[in-house]
Amino acid sequence: MWKFTVRRIILMIPQVIFLSLLIFIMAKVMPGDALTGLIDPNIDPAAIEARREAMGLNNPWYIQYMDWIKGVIQFDFGQSFRYKMAVSELISERLVNTFWLSVVTLFFTYLLAIPLGITSGRFNDTWGDRLITGYTYVGFAAPLFIFALVMLWLFGFKLGWFPTGGSVTPGLVPGTFEYILSKLNHLLLPSLSMALITTVSTVQYLRSEIIDTKQKEFVLTARAKGAPESRVYNRHILRNSLLPIAAFFGFEITGLIGGAIFIENIFGYPGMGQLFLTSITMRDFSVVTALALLFGIASILGALLSDIILSLVDPRIRIK
Amino acid sequence: MGKSSLKKLLFTLMLILLLALAACSGGGEEEQVDEGETEDDGLYSIEDFSKMKTNEGEAIEGGSFTYGLVSDTAFEGTLNSNFNSGGPDARVIGWFDEALLTWDENFVYTQDGAATYEVSEDGKTFTFTIRNGVNWHDGEPVTAEDWLFAHEVIGHPDYDGIRYGSDFTNIEGMEAYHAGEVDTISGIEVIDEKTLEITYIKATPSLVTGSIWTYPLAKHIFGEMEVAEMSSSDAVRRHPIGFGAFKVESIVPGESVVYSKNEDYWRGEPNLDEVVLKVINPNVVVQSLQTGEVDTVDAFPVNQFPDNADMSNVEFLGMVDRSYNYIGFKLGTWEDEEVVPDPEAKMADVNLRKAMWHAVDNETVGERFYHGLRWNGTTLIPPSHPEFHDETNPGITYNPERAKELLEEAGFVDVTGDGMREDKDGNELVINFASMSGDDIAEPLTQYYIQAWKQVGLNVQLLDGRLQEFNTFYDRVEEDDPGIDIYQAAWQAGIDVDPTDLYGRNAMFNYTRYASEENDRLLATGVSEEAFDVAKRQEIYKEWQQLMVDEVPLFPTLYRAAVVPVNNRVLNYSIGDGTEMYLHEIAVTSESPLVAE
Amino acid sequence: MRMNNANTPRSMQEIEKSPSGWKIVIREIIKDKLAFVSLIFLILVILFVYGVALFLDQAEIVTVDLFAIHEPPSSEYWLGTDYGGRDIFGQLIIGTRNSLSVGILVTLLSGIIGITVGVISGYFGGTVDNIFMRIVDFFMILPFLMIVIVFVAIVPKYGILSFSLIMTAFLWMGIARLIRSKALQEQELDYVHASKTLGSSNFQIVFSQVLPNLSSLIIVTMTLNLAANIGLESGLSFLGFGFPESTPSLGTLVSYARNPQTLEHRWWIWLPASLLILVLMLSINNVGQALKRATDARQRRG
Repeated sequence: MWKFTVRRIILMIPQVIFLSLLIFIMAKVMPGDALTGLIDPNIDPAAIEARREAMGLNNPWYIQYMDWIKGVIQFDFGQSFRYKMAVSELISERLVNTFWLSVVTLFFTYLLAIPLGITSGRFNDTWGDRLITGYTYVGFAAPLFIFALVMLWLFGFKLGWFPTGGSVTPGLVPGTFEYILSKLNHLLLPSLSMALITTVSTVQYLRSEIIDTKQKEFVLTARAKGAPESRVYNRHILRNSLLPIAAFFGFEITGLIGGAIFIENIFGYPGMGQLFLTSITMRDFSVVTALALLFGIASILGALLSDIILSLVDPRIRIK
Repeated sequence: MGKSSLKKLLFTLMLILLLALAACSGGGEEEQVDEGETEDDGLYSIEDFSKMKTNEGEAIEGGSFTYGLVSDTAFEGTLNSNFNSGGPDARVIGWFDEALLTWDENFVYTQDGAATYEVSEDGKTFTFTIRNGVNWHDGEPVTAEDWLFAHEVIGHPDYDGIRYGSDFTNIEGMEAYHAGEVDTISGIEVIDEKTLEITYIKATPSLVTGSIWTYPLAKHIFGEMEVAEMSSSDAVRRHPIGFGAFKVESIVPGESVVYSKNEDYWRGEPNLDEVVLKVINPNVVVQSLQTGEVDTVDAFPVNQFPDNADMSNVEFLGMVDRSYNYIGFKLGTWEDEEVVPDPEAKMADVNLRKAMWHAVDNETVGERFYHGLRWNGTTLIPPSHPEFHDETNPGITYNPERAKELLEEAGFVDVTGDGMREDKDGNELVINFASMSGDDIAEPLTQYYIQAWKQVGLNVQLLDGRLQEFNTFYDRVEEDDPGIDIYQAAWQAGIDVDPTDLYGRNAMFNYTRYASEENDRLLATGVSEEAFDVAKRQEIYKEWQQLMVDEVPLFPTLYRAAVVPVNNRVLNYSIGDGTEMYLHEIAVTSESPLVAE
Repeated sequence: MRMNNANTPRSMQEIEKSPSGWKIVIREIIKDKLAFVSLIFLILVILFVYGVALFLDQAEIVTVDLFAIHEPPSSEYWLGTDYGGRDIFGQLIIGTRNSLSVGILVTLLSGIIGITVGVISGYFGGTVDNIFMRIVDFFMILPFLMIVIVFVAIVPKYGILSFSLIMTAFLWMGIARLIRSKALQEQELDYVHASKTLGSSNFQIVFSQVLPNLSSLIIVTMTLNLAANIGLESGLSFLGFGFPESTPSLGTLVSYARNPQTLEHRWWIWLPASLLILVLMLSINNVGQALKRATDARQRRG
């Protein structure tokens, strides 16, 4: 087990290095830089050029890369050109928002997936199962952005049940109960929109997993022994079906990253996805590179997590 | 099995139906709006708007006011005028800090601000006196020392902001100080605690229209800091300080700011207890205003105005914006800090440029796309500068027939018979047009111009077949990318009318790279000593505006209006410059904003 | 039927099935009414869209008409017009065609690359496999959306082909992995050994034996990928990192809904495109799922 984990972690290192190189070069190739946007007749162009020189934007790329990577190792991603603050500080502000968005989304995802999947699997081919399967069909096909847009329009605008932007009502003191409540309120619609879509694959998986397990010999044996149906489900089937779901947890994180870009963009939720899109348009390289790197590492870790859980569940994986 | 798929199909159908129904109900409302609109041809004119809010009702004691900052990005949070560079930050700063000098509607400094000024005979030496009672939020007085300190920081070699420029180099001794040769700026002298004297190298009428640095920097707070660290310090980012009507209470970075009133404000105690500023996405502006989530916003998206002109709980204020859209012709290159015109440039023929101006109908563009809230541009000094904008100059008017004539005369004839004109030598003429994305209407507007030019037989192609993203666009325009023959962009005129920074021979922002001796002469006299006489200056700029119409290095396409909705409960609110209404006077008539019916 | 297949050893089943793979697929689809209807619908849409698009002039459809801005649906403009006075119906047709083209192109390209890499990797195994899989691993961890967005910001000029290539570059790994694992299994089977002893070249074995055995799996995966790719294209266009407006796409039409005025008052601009995406994806998925059932005995319905 340990050997496997260590091996996986060592494999990660070149991945991360390649990732950082790729991201950095791509960011440099992008036309324009952080100062291009400062077009204002009241600003002296010479002042802009001087800033450019001072920030090292005129150095060759590999020197800039070495400078950058040296900082990254010490968790210093440099300064954001636009926000005039340390990238790490900027990101940590947004990271909190995205983190909670992900947590609440995951919560809803499993809150929906487990009962729906179980119902659907246990009572397969009843009308309830058909309804749930119907939902998963539509959910599987509906692109997240369209669904989120409709949710925003319906619950945010038409019905006015939820706030339509931001992460918290201004003026509340951090730490107070109202503040937390307001944060949660701002989270509900975005995370629910995302969860309703992301949950379907888990529901589908759980359903077929349960249907499969139902036919397995040990279940049939348990049943033949006269164990009550609920016990058969709780003790035997569920335990066996939920483990693989747990293993998907890591991959779920990767999915959330992509989703966050859409969701934060549509709901005006100030998280990392939104920061990424604005940084791209504003050519704030240090932020773009840091975010891409972070997201990349997050998906690496997600995959690692899944592999580890999987290897716990299914020892055969370890041989690989 | 059949049954289950049927169920699925049914479910899908139901979902679709639900969507369609919901959408149709939305459509229904629209028709009602349309009816209201057709009665008055759906057009608006900026002249029907006021810059001042009409006051209705009695003010209540105190109250809270919410200001919406319309932006799809977070504000940057560099909350000090000496360091900030973004427009959104400036709005955040505006509530808690102000300039020491105020200006009138012609952007000329007045004697009503926190400081007054006197000018010497030769117009070079300014003596400023800061009023008594002008105090920083922490109670310390604002001193001449602070004002000097701001100059010292901006001129410092380690300064990381963008303010240092020609306004500063025009101060005596500034360049020596900036180069690190001396420790003090010889042209600035602190006379006493409240009096400062600044000597400029060159006297120009521009000095009193925005070329003086009027934002002091609190020395008792920043004095001990390294210059390079100031902009990222807590005193700029977390607990910014000023001497305005309100002080910063709390900040949610990038999202919102809560201000409380500054009881010690030098003009008097503000009426409001609290001001909340929050960023709202352009997409939810209407919603936020209707529900009273915000009392007003800094800018209302003009294209959303017609659908919401009847909003019952707000009054729309409006003014002429300093911005204008224009189409520029690339006529040369930028070499060694100087514009070098290229007589061989594709667009070098003035008749070709005139014909292209004749070919586009900006009147209709303004009416159709902007419902009259943007309108045909005529000269390069926009009507936001009423003193200098030449109303009598019609520019070049829409006249496609004249455009064709001009082209024929100039030798741009269709030789090949494909409906498109060839150049004077009979070679294929393809004009590459760069345009940027960002504006809501950018894409159809660009397409319209291309179509209009096609109508007169000019083959204009969109560069790369798509709109350029903002950064790429300016990168390529700035570097005189040979692929660009013409481009569409916008300028915001400075508060000083002098256009040298945009159109002078040594201006990098002169993107058309047009230069002529007549242009040099007019621009120079516009800021010379004889121009201190306003009538004379008007004369000069009138001549210059005509020169630009004759030469057409670029032509203005649309002038713009800014409309700002303000909740009906708000009193003493105004937009624009020189209204002599100040933030401390704002009051409200009820505890919470009125909600739309 | 179901019991039979379930009890047949996998290898046997596939060998036996390979010649009649298509037959089973077709039979299964006809049996599943929903999938059948979906397939017919898809074929009709594709024929309609590509057919009608032949008669439509894209340049004319994206022509701005100042006097027809935001027209509601009428006999002249079947689905109204957008904020440039451009006909939505025409844009919808052309947009569907463009989105489908990108989806199909990306699916085919990524399929070809993925299958090639997967088969080579799985069939030869060893060092080749190791190298390929490290590369695949690396691509797998890239945050897809972000990388593509950055790429789109870099490439100055793009059309259907270059946009498809950008997407393909980061989408071929899934299918490569899948094919590899199957090829790994195949390669150990008797028939491959037999062919080898008979002196067939690797190339021959791969093309005439291994690949045909994987064909049904490939078809299923590619069908499901097609839906996903169409979704990705429209998603990117929605964010503003896809096609420019002068090249209509379903995502662009939906993205107009980000203006709340359009979302609330002008449903004809965004709703048809949204529904079309939804229905297209549903149909493709239905067909894909039916295909999957056809190849996966366990899931097949009785």
